[in-house]
Amino acid sequence: MLETRNLDKSFGAVHVTRDVSLKLERGERRVILGPNGAGKTTLFNLLVGELTPDSGSVHLAGEDVTALPVSRRARRGLSRSYQKNTLFDGLTVEENLGLAAAVHAGHATQLWSDSLAKPEVREIVREVAEQVNLVPHIHARVSEISYGMRRQLEVGVALATRPLVLLMDEPTSGVGPEMSKGFHDLLNNLPRDLTMLIIEHDMDLAFDVADTITVLNYGEVVFDGLPEAARGSKLLKEIYLGSWEDA
Amino acid sequence: MFRHSTLRYITLALLTSLALFQAFTAAYFGLEVLTEILILAMLVVALDLVAGFGGMVSLCHGALMGVGAYAYTTVSVTLGISPLVAMAGAVALTGAAAWIIGAICSRSHGIYFIMATLAFGQMAYSWVFEAPIFGGDDGLGGIPRLDLGFLGIDLNDSRSFALFCLAALGAVYGAAVLILRSGLGRSLSGVMHNEQRMRALGLTVWRVKADVFGLSGMIAGLAGALAAQHIMYISPGLLAWTVSGEALVVVILGGLGTLVGPLVGAAAFVLLKHELSAITTYWHLVVGLVLIGVVMSRANGIFGWIEARWGARLDRRLADATRKSAPEEVLNDA
Ligand SMILES: Nc1ncnc2c1ncn2[C@@H]1O[C@H](COP(=O)(O)OP(=O)(O)OP(=O)(O)O)[C@@H](O)[C@H]1O
Ligand SMILES: [Mg+2]
Repeated sequence: MLETRNLDKSFGAVHVTRDVSLKLERGERRVILGPNGAGKTTLFNLLVGELTPDSGSVHLAGEDVTALPVSRRARRGLSRSYQKNTLFDGLTVEENLGLAAAVHAGHATQLWSDSLAKPEVREIVREVAEQVNLVPHIHARVSEISYGMRRQLEVGVALATRPLVLLMDEPTSGVGPEMSKGFHDLLNNLPRDLTMLIIEHDMDLAFDVADTITVLNYGEVVFDGLPEAARGSKLLKEIYLGSWEDA
Repeated sequence: MFRHSTLRYITLALLTSLALFQAFTAAYFGLEVLTEILILAMLVVALDLVAGFGGMVSLCHGALMGVGAYAYTTVSVTLGISPLVAMAGAVALTGAAAWIIGAICSRSHGIYFIMATLAFGQMAYSWVFEAPIFGGDDGLGGIPRLDLGFLGIDLNDSRSFALFCLAALGAVYGAAVLILRSGLGRSLSGVMHNEQRMRALGLTVWRVKADVFGLSGMIAGLAGALAAQHIMYISPGLLAWTVSGEALVVVILGGLGTLVGPLVGAAAFVLLKHELSAITTYWHLVVGLVLIGVVMSRANGIFGWIEARWGARLDRRLADATRKSAPEEVLNDA
């Protein structure tokens, strides 16, 4: 569904992504682990097109999309959430989801009608609000909901484009352990055919959702396999202990 | 997204009543001033649409208005085609020009966007200035007004023309509200807030910007066609960049992104200009001082300042009033 071949990216002298090749099957839920600065977010930026790789390619549903701009990749079914919230602050939960749903439904540039009044858009908004547990807060403004709910909405906005592949950059970052657990239930309840790539800091929680695990270190894939294998991996333990001591 | 608060409705009602009162009671000079305000108001609504709601600070809106004025004049005077067709043509042509400018400038931001629009404005200015068919420095005269004889209205009468411009401004304001509340308007506010995010959602950002810029250009074109009919004479000065600068001053003075504020700003600006220029030739100095005061106060213009002080209080009081009346109904039912 989503594949990268030998992706490479440097910022000046810093080699941030090194020869990364990944392959996600349809419906696969893969968690990316790695210490701070390992290049996880950079990999996402390369995948969605916010950065151009120095070399290598990105393939979506069997097609090479490396040359496509961000918006065209998104319309082909690649959606992402961000490590830092990118919500539209003055708007309500419903309007935030509606902005994304309108793009998917093709009403985002319509002049003759309000996109949020369209039945297709309302339908997506209702469904996604349910998926991210925000139905009771649908009319609340972003400023009126808790931080944890905002993280849920951040994922909701990405979901509202009805993607084939959903990339989530530390969806639970800054959220307490209690709520993180709920978040992972939420992810587990998403449609089984949705392909997911999730950056996650917390190993235990990662094992909750992952079908497969990729570990990045200094921009390099140092582990790629099943969670059971990851649990026993010495290398992973080294990196894990090396960088999570403070956590 | 654009919302009408109670304060905005009250201000609109007040402005409309004042304009109507002036239109029916004023003598010739008062009517001229009123018409000047109404036409400037159209231009600044167009500018607020792109600058206040799309973050596209344009320094070519004066030139766009000039394009509308010259297009109307060329079609009606030089080609001798009916004023109604000329007006439609002016609106369409200005809109198309603005769409192209918006599309080309859509990739630049901030100061670069401002400079790019300024460059387009200056190109239009020098073209009109040099081209013989536009009369060069001398400008063009003998411009006819729209013939509404079939409705029994003679627009050559100042009062009728002022009322006609008021109706046009009402239509323009309504159109601007509809645009802001459409799918396009919602996307525009998303783009202004976080362009990168909207792109990642799959939006073709440049199209949204170009479309809104084009619609804004149509309004500027209409203002231009009316300005030409008002003065019945046009010269290249209409396209000078200072006109765009003045429009921007009015929008900021009134309240960027409030749509109602720029209307207040237009009235304040024209009145200030006429009152002060009667007293002193240095009236621009006073306008400058007022602008500095407004900007330094960190308020969003005159209307933004009023809104920040009383807007919320007014809405709260109304909410209280409705809440108080609600329990009574419950009691009555019991
Ligand atoms: N635009 C940029 N220009 C220069 N260096 C960058 C840029 N973006 C990221 N980097 C560098 O690349 C490295 C990887 O950054 P990245 O954000 O991808 O890490 P990460 O794995 O997401 O880390 P974290 O867990 O802290 O989010 C870091 O050293 C960072 O400083
Ligand atoms: Mg990161």
